[in-house]
Amino acid sequence: MLKLAWRNIWRNKVRSTITIAAVMFCVIFAVVLRSFQVGVWEHMVDDIVANNFGYLQVHQKGFWEEQSLDLSMDQATLPSDQWREVDGVRSVVRRLESFSLVSMDQNNRGSLVLGIEPQHELPGLQLTDQIVSGNVFEPGSDQVVVSEGLAEFLKVVVGDSLLFLSQGYRGASAYGQFVVSGIAKISNPELNKQLVLMPLQTAQWMYNGMGLLTTAVIDLEPGVDHKEVKEALQPMMGEELELLEWEELFPELIQTIEADMAGGQIFITILYFIISFVLLGTVIMMVSEREREFGILVSIGMRKSKLAFVTVLENLILTLGGAIVGMTLVKPVQFYFKYNPIDLSGQMKEAIEQFDFEPKLYTTTSYIINLNHGAIVFIIGVLISSYAVWKIMKLEPVKSMRS
Amino acid sequence: MSKPVIEIKNLEKVYEGAVPVHAVNGINLTITEGEFTALKGPSGCGKTTLLNLLGGLDQPTSGTIEIGGVDITTLSENELIDFRLRNIGFVFQAYNLIPVLSAKENVSFIMLLQDRPKEEREARAQQLLEAVGLKGKEGQRPVQLSGGQQQRVAVARALASKPQFVLADEPTANLDSTSTANLLDIMEKLNKKERMTFVFATHDDRVIKKARRIISIEDGKVLSDE
Repeated sequence: MLKLAWRNIWRNKVRSTITIAAVMFCVIFAVVLRSFQVGVWEHMVDDIVANNFGYLQVHQKGFWEEQSLDLSMDQATLPSDQWREVDGVRSVVRRLESFSLVSMDQNNRGSLVLGIEPQHELPGLQLTDQIVSGNVFEPGSDQVVVSEGLAEFLKVVVGDSLLFLSQGYRGASAYGQFVVSGIAKISNPELNKQLVLMPLQTAQWMYNGMGLLTTAVIDLEPGVDHKEVKEALQPMMGEELELLEWEELFPELIQTIEADMAGGQIFITILYFIISFVLLGTVIMMVSEREREFGILVSIGMRKSKLAFVTVLENLILTLGGAIVGMTLVKPVQFYFKYNPIDLSGQMKEAIEQFDFEPKLYTTTSYIINLNHGAIVFIIGVLISSYAVWKIMKLEPVKSMRS
Repeated sequence: MSKPVIEIKNLEKVYEGAVPVHAVNGINLTITEGEFTALKGPSGCGKTTLLNLLGGLDQPTSGTIEIGGVDITTLSENELIDFRLRNIGFVFQAYNLIPVLSAKENVSFIMLLQDRPKEEREARAQQLLEAVGLKGKEGQRPVQLSGGQQQRVAVARALASKPQFVLADEPTANLDSTSTANLLDIMEKLNKKERMTFVFATHDDRVIKKARRIISIEDGKVLSDE
């Protein structure tokens, strides 16, 4: 039967080649489209999460929701050493984060203040590559590093002093004057507009919270599944602490990703409709051309179910062939654009930057996308084959032989 | 005395329409083993319809068709297909070989449907192709064969399943005189040597001359049976 199906495929070489090519291009377009979409998000999540915020964060219960310094943790009592022993945990990064009004002459802006230890920080806040002018602050000093966007807004340069005014731990006044030691370009555009970094001890002093932390970021080994680590860490949190994964920290990011994915799905669905009609056309032509032959085969004793099986097999070989070729050929394209992203320019760049996205198009090299789209096209092929099955099952040999 | 292979009783086939057409109108007939029978008559007389009914390709309006003691009018669609596969050989006017299979594969295909072992299929296909004078053409596809050669492959295919009888609908209509004579000789030989029963629907005099029984049909009725 397989031999018969194989030979039937090649009885009309041009049509079979066109069908395989159509399936192949559909898979290539769908995978490329999806790869860019997922790749851009992957890159963004990697940038925001892996480089800046971490996949897992520990807070005092309720802090993330209320963002209040009153819900801080005592760094001395945190079982950080115990957490570090869990497989996949590389380090525990200590932070104190709050908000403050930051002023320079007549200019002021509400800013996010992060008290950090750069030498222990995640890559995005180590400030080795990010400093565009000046230097990193000294630990415990009265110095700060200002993000580039904020520096532009406040019109500050290295050496200027900034005034901070906020509310500290348990209602205490929090204020201070600090010298700008450096200006840093933060890759996340939203953070780049409002971030001030200062030594952890300095932030604790300003907010009247010596020895307190708002956040302990669990830094993971590369490639580790954060959900597995969370499962291992969860029993160590006790009643006072909460362990949140990035999806819980940034639900709006997940919603944005899902909304964007849904938008892309419309284009891909249109592609699937096109390929469905190409395949349907092939099957209709094939059935119509061979109606007489089908009649003969049933006449000489071939069961309709067997005949239907052969024709379905033909269609499946065509679609599977096209899908496999497409899935394979698109792989180098995915790898190329992962490491050589497309730089957007002009209006498109501005539009994307307005949404705080990096104006670069990356692809993902995930095999799951290729397999998913290959499988979807294959399933379309199976469904389209039902037309041939339907025609064969209602075939009348005498009428078919007269056709 | 030869045993009956086909027994037809009060067979009718009416095509409904504004004016109902009685394509087969109350035919009673018995065909016995080893017969070489021609159904003759003008175009539209009902001989092809009768042949289709005998082959279980079409359902009668009324009457019965018993083949080897089985009333095929009572069989389900799949039972009928299986019955055809094991009991009836067909030779069609337009050869109707499977274009993507070689001559030998066309012959052995029907045995594949019967789930016969590969060795048996190969041997019988070879033997039948030799019997119809196509030794050396086994690997050729239908398009590489002449009309006469294709029809000989069709005869070999019809016999491959070891049927009780072979139905041939205008088997010589598309053949030249030499090919026709050749094909008829082969079928006559097979009829005599293997006592294979042949029933032809034809208006070709060359076939009618070879037949040992000639049934004339007109307006769906048997006009004469000689």
